[in-house]
Amino acid sequence: MRQPIYNSGIPGILKSVNLACRPARVRRVARFGVHCLIVLLCTFASASDWSSSEKQLAQKIAAVTGPGAAALTIQNRSSLGKRDTEIVQNGMESALQEVGVRLVNNEQAATSIAVSLSENQTAYVWIAEVRQGTADSAVVMVSVPRTAATTRLPDSMPMTLVKTLLWSGNKPILDVAILEGDASPTRIAVLSPEDLSLYRMQAGKWQAEQKLSINHLKPWPLDLHGRLIPTRDHALDLYLPGVFCQTASAATLNCRESDDPWPLGIISTPSAGSSTAPLLAGFFTPRRNFFTGVIAPAIGKFSAAPKFYSAAFLPRDKYVLWLFAATDGKLHILDGIRDQISLTDFGSDIATVRTNCGAGWQVLATNADDQSGDSVRAYELPDRDPIAVSAPINLPGKISGLWTQANGDNAIAVAKNPETGSYEAYRLTVACN
Amino acid sequence: MSFRRKLLLVFSVSVALSVAAVAWLVQEVTRKAFEETENQRTSQLVGQFQREFNRQGEEVTRRVENIAASETVNRMGAALNGTSADSAEYFDLARSLAESHQLDFLELLDSRGMIVSSAQWAAKFGYPEPAFQILSPSAQQPAFLKLEQLQDSTALGLFTVRTSAGREHPVYVVGGRRLDKTFLSTLNVAPEMRVLLYQNRGETFSADLLVNASASSRDARAAEKLAPLVDAVRRSNQEMSTPVRWSSDRADEEIFHAIPLRGLGENRPLLGILLIGQSRRNYVQLSRRIKDAALLAGAGGIVLALFLSGWAAARVTRPIEELAGAAQSVAAGSWDTRVQVNGHDEVSQLANSFNQMTTELLAQKERLVQAERVAAWRELARRLAHELKNPLFPLQLTVENLIRARTQSPEQFEEVFRESSQTLLSELANLKGIIGRFSEFSKMPQPQLQRVNVNQVLRGVVQLFQAQLNVPGKPAIECRSETDESLGTIAADPELLHRAISNLVLNAMDAMPQGGKLTLLSRREPQKVVIEVADTGTGLTPEECARIFTPYYTNKQHGSGLGLAIVQSVVSDHGGTITVRSQPGKGTAFVIELPERPELLAEIAESRAQHAGEPVRN
Amino acid sequence: MKRTGLQWLAISVLLISALSANADTRPQYGGTLHITTSMSTSSLDPAEMPDSVGARNLVALIFDTLVIVDATGRPQSALAESWQSVAGDRGVEFHLRRNVKFHDGNPLTTEIVVSSLRKANPAWNVTAGGDVVSIESAGAIPELLQELSLSRNAIAKRDATGNPSGTGPFHIVDWQPGKRLVAAANEDYWNGRPFVDEIDIDMGRTFRDQMNALESGRADLAEVAPEQMHRAVSQRYELLRSSPIELIALKFAKEAASAQEKASRDALRLSIERQSMHNVLLQGAGQPSASLLPTWMSGYGFVFSTEPDRLRAQQLRDQIPGVPSFTLGYDNNDPLARLLAERVALNAKETGLSVQLNASATELRLVRIPLASCDPWSSLLVLNNQLGLPPIEAKAHSLDQLFASEQSMLASGRIIPLFHLPLAYAAGTNLRDWTVMPGGKLNVTGAWLKSSQP
Repeated sequence: MRQPIYNSGIPGILKSVNLACRPARVRRVARFGVHCLIVLLCTFASASDWSSSEKQLAQKIAAVTGPGAAALTIQNRSSLGKRDTEIVQNGMESALQEVGVRLVNNEQAATSIAVSLSENQTAYVWIAEVRQGTADSAVVMVSVPRTAATTRLPDSMPMTLVKTLLWSGNKPILDVAILEGDASPTRIAVLSPEDLSLYRMQAGKWQAEQKLSINHLKPWPLDLHGRLIPTRDHALDLYLPGVFCQTASAATLNCRESDDPWPLGIISTPSAGSSTAPLLAGFFTPRRNFFTGVIAPAIGKFSAAPKFYSAAFLPRDKYVLWLFAATDGKLHILDGIRDQISLTDFGSDIATVRTNCGAGWQVLATNADDQSGDSVRAYELPDRDPIAVSAPINLPGKISGLWTQANGDNAIAVAKNPETGSYEAYRLTVACN
Repeated sequence: MSFRRKLLLVFSVSVALSVAAVAWLVQEVTRKAFEETENQRTSQLVGQFQREFNRQGEEVTRRVENIAASETVNRMGAALNGTSADSAEYFDLARSLAESHQLDFLELLDSRGMIVSSAQWAAKFGYPEPAFQILSPSAQQPAFLKLEQLQDSTALGLFTVRTSAGREHPVYVVGGRRLDKTFLSTLNVAPEMRVLLYQNRGETFSADLLVNASASSRDARAAEKLAPLVDAVRRSNQEMSTPVRWSSDRADEEIFHAIPLRGLGENRPLLGILLIGQSRRNYVQLSRRIKDAALLAGAGGIVLALFLSGWAAARVTRPIEELAGAAQSVAAGSWDTRVQVNGHDEVSQLANSFNQMTTELLAQKERLVQAERVAAWRELARRLAHELKNPLFPLQLTVENLIRARTQSPEQFEEVFRESSQTLLSELANLKGIIGRFSEFSKMPQPQLQRVNVNQVLRGVVQLFQAQLNVPGKPAIECRSETDESLGTIAADPELLHRAISNLVLNAMDAMPQGGKLTLLSRREPQKVVIEVADTGTGLTPEECARIFTPYYTNKQHGSGLGLAIVQSVVSDHGGTITVRSQPGKGTAFVIELPERPELLAEIAESRAQHAGEPVRN
Repeated sequence: MKRTGLQWLAISVLLISALSANADTRPQYGGTLHITTSMSTSSLDPAEMPDSVGARNLVALIFDTLVIVDATGRPQSALAESWQSVAGDRGVEFHLRRNVKFHDGNPLTTEIVVSSLRKANPAWNVTAGGDVVSIESAGAIPELLQELSLSRNAIAKRDATGNPSGTGPFHIVDWQPGKRLVAAANEDYWNGRPFVDEIDIDMGRTFRDQMNALESGRADLAEVAPEQMHRAVSQRYELLRSSPIELIALKFAKEAASAQEKASRDALRLSIERQSMHNVLLQGAGQPSASLLPTWMSGYGFVFSTEPDRLRAQQLRDQIPGVPSFTLGYDNNDPLARLLAERVALNAKETGLSVQLNASATELRLVRIPLASCDPWSSLLVLNNQLGLPPIEAKAHSLDQLFASEQSMLASGRIIPLFHLPLAYAAGTNLRDWTVMPGGKLNVTGAWLKSSQP
């Protein structure tokens, strides 16, 4: 079974964090440097892999042509870049000369070698069509395994909303909790459908520290959501549909079937450090992807909200304004007295972050973007209608989870990158202009 | 043949000839008039068709112009603009345009004549249009004919070519309608006309190339009959007409006018031949109706003529027939016959004369009868005197002898008296006999008819006289009986008939004192029975023959002269006739002809049935 | 002042935009998904259904396979949670997933799996032992995992009457053979209950009917003819397509009986000009191809030239006395097939060959062949069987062997590839999160309907 591909360094973290705080010119220079570094690394890694394939193909060609003069043309039909193509071409020329094929111009050669750099689903396919005189061309080919996927730099839109890549892997991610290191996380917990994994940053890479299986008897819903909440005693509470788990000790995870309500609003108190106190809890449907609407405690006169996917809150002087992304596609705003419905372009996921900007509390909301994935935007509600207070920040794919972190200062957004197929978790923070 | 029939025949023949002459005359005049009308009509119809054909061409032109001027085509022209830009997106355009403009053919060509889109052969895109060089897209160019190659066939179409407007590299729009059944059926032609199209392909005529808007299997089979006309037009390349009869029925004849259809190009190749057929069925049917009407009128005329001529002939011949009938009645003895006299014409005069004649004849007959009655009475008186005189003379002598004996020789008186008394008695007996025979003749009874077998009667007579025929010491008479056994029965009185034949046999025996041969013969003739009694005796002279049946005529010494008269009376009472033929010295034959009279036989049978058990005769 | 005005303007725009939209992003449960398809089948038994992408889609709704192949062609676990090679690659042992139930409530057992696989593959040696299913064969089973992912190897439990029951995400509610299938979501599906409550599949519909159904709202998801893809996009439907997975080819029913016939076939092959057909008739969809496997699958497909060689074709044609003639059959219900056949006939005519079109002709037909899977070897082997060619003797499934095998199949003269076409689907805006695999397989298990209420 294929293992998750761990992030080799976290350039995105550096980039996001640092670039957000530096002038634009400096950011451009830094970005260019990072690009160059990655390209060089990739080039170096790839060149060493391809040489054997080049030699293999050259030997096959020589077996057809024998030693002598030949004209070589190389055409790239694959997803290889121009640079890679040039590297392969140089490598092929060397390899052919090593096996006794002397490369000359077309006019001087009775033998022509047309190499096509092609690919199929699983590998590169390099094909040489060797034509000698008027005879039918002979075809030889080699299969070249693909190298590890080139790390793609996530796009950033460092305006007021900043995303920081925390984690990426091939397995689905439900939630990520930062356990240690606030600005630069050094220990994280990753909640997946089947396990809870703890990672620690060591030498610039996340190293697996512990993996705890989640036992459940009933199958998960197709659109699975889960919540990972650190508790005061450095334990972790796991909320999954119909299942509640808790880390009992360092090596075990106790799971039980449960319909306990999930915490919806958490405000960390500075005195308690990372300790949390939920403002509100909601019951989650065990076989679906939404909350039933039953909440505890009641919001004013409302003991229940409409069925909703997610909830956020905005503390006011004398009350807390609750926002529910309801399953009817509308945003319900409850202040304890009224249930106001707002037609917004909010997606299904909303979360609250506490900042030093603006009113001090913002709502992060997803926004559907069919072309390039979802985006997240920060909103405030000075009155009863949401007003965007940041430009949208794009995520590489569809957002499957948006949760406020335990400290309330930032949020975790989980998305699947359609290009790489990996699941990525980002930390979203709001920076003041 | 009667006069009336002759007259009727003459009348009928005259009327029939007259009607036939009139019918023929009418038919001939009609035929000529129809032929002239037909020619004029064919010319008009051909002209009408050509106008219709041109109208269709103009319609095609209008549609193609609309397409060429459409925004879609102009947009396409602008997009291509003389380059080999990607024309793929227009690939299907011609089909949709052709559908919306109801065209069978539509090709959109670029400025080089390459097909961008083809409605009729979608796969032909990118290929050059073969006829591009000769296509002229000018506004004045009327519709033209073109053979269009299709996927699996070749079709003849009426085409127009136009270009999109205002471009240096225009789009050529080549559109048309297929000259096929549908096209032909849309042509507005007269009801008795039909239009066929022969697609001129191949060297020889082929029925498969014939497009017929109303084709039937029969037409397909008979299409070969158009081959001579098609071949002639192919050779001459000119219009021509010819009648074509599809079957033995004259009504199945059509007059075909062939119009060669030429395409574009230098030689203007013959692409097809339009065959405009005009059915002669109407004409033939009208002609037949006239003929039928003539025949009906002729037949009616003849019947009417027969009736009228019969009536006329009857009118004319009835007096004559009456006269003829009256004449026959007169001839039969009805002297008092009269005919009715009507009018004053010649026949009436004739009838009048006839009446006068019969009146005169009757008067003369009365006179003759009276004269004959007087003569008969005289003859009777003479015969009676003669008969009575003969016995009276001996009586006188005897009485005178007695007187003398008494006076002269009383002793001998007794002897004389005795002898004289015997003589007196004998003579008186003779007188009595003479008077008796006269009395008997006058008392001839009326015949009592019953079914009688003549042969039986003959055999009874022969048997009666058999003994007398061969009396010893006398010359023998040979009797021969030749009877026709097929004779049936006739209505007759057997006793009278027996008596009559017996008289004839007695006569024959008297005529053969020296012996001879007596022949009794019976035979049957139509509606009558013939009895013949012949002898080989002395025979009769013609004068004797003429008078032989007169009563009291006899050539015998002791005959009364009533025998044959009685025979004649009996025969006459039976409705028959008796004749005699004789030659002196050779014999005499009496021939009796008696009618069979079946009606009387039926009456007798009926009467017998009614009086079963009773004797027929009282 | 100016800045304040701009700010208010921006705020107003944002406010207006906020009020005008309603965009959920999280999948919603419920609703009936209406799908139209050209596929028509009289049986839902995976072992009996004719192989087509439509059939594969249907099977995937009701049944599961032991393994599935992901978008990159790699096998992933399905009913088999794990597997391992045994006996020197002569067999594989599969560990079944636990707590999986068939639609009739019976649990998934190794016996049922064995029975199901034996029915589909009589030549395989399939045995059960405990929780393990072993598959062995006398020779090496080529690409066994790929084979097992094929729809015919879907695991079905058959009752006494032979009716199959599956473990798939949907269970059958109403089945009108050849016409309609209504399937309801399997609440206990091991991989999560599908979002839609029901799927209603209308079968045997032409592409045109399907687009009409989509336009009229009677269908949420429809198949799109490749040449019509651009139109579907212009109509603002969401369009997804597979990799070019369907082979369009001229297929001869028999091998050439003589050298002359072989030359005629070669002349026909060399006369075909694929590029213009691709540009115009296919409107650029798919790829012109002279190879059996598409390049994306094999990597070398372009080696087989798609360009016509009329000179060579003419030379071959001149060697043949008379006019070589073919009667080309095609699917009369397929407008594209008719056009392609016409164009082939036109190309052939230029070379002096006679190609008559007759839809019902069987000797030579223009056919659409869906490749069996995204795996080149599996596809080629299945294709080889379909063509009735001698079995491929490949010692190792190397790229060279693959190329040589394909070359050999083409050299048989039994098939002339023309194009590889993708399979395309269009959906209305209310259908979300549906995907199409490279092999054309439609994945609607994770799809959800926007307008439906959970």
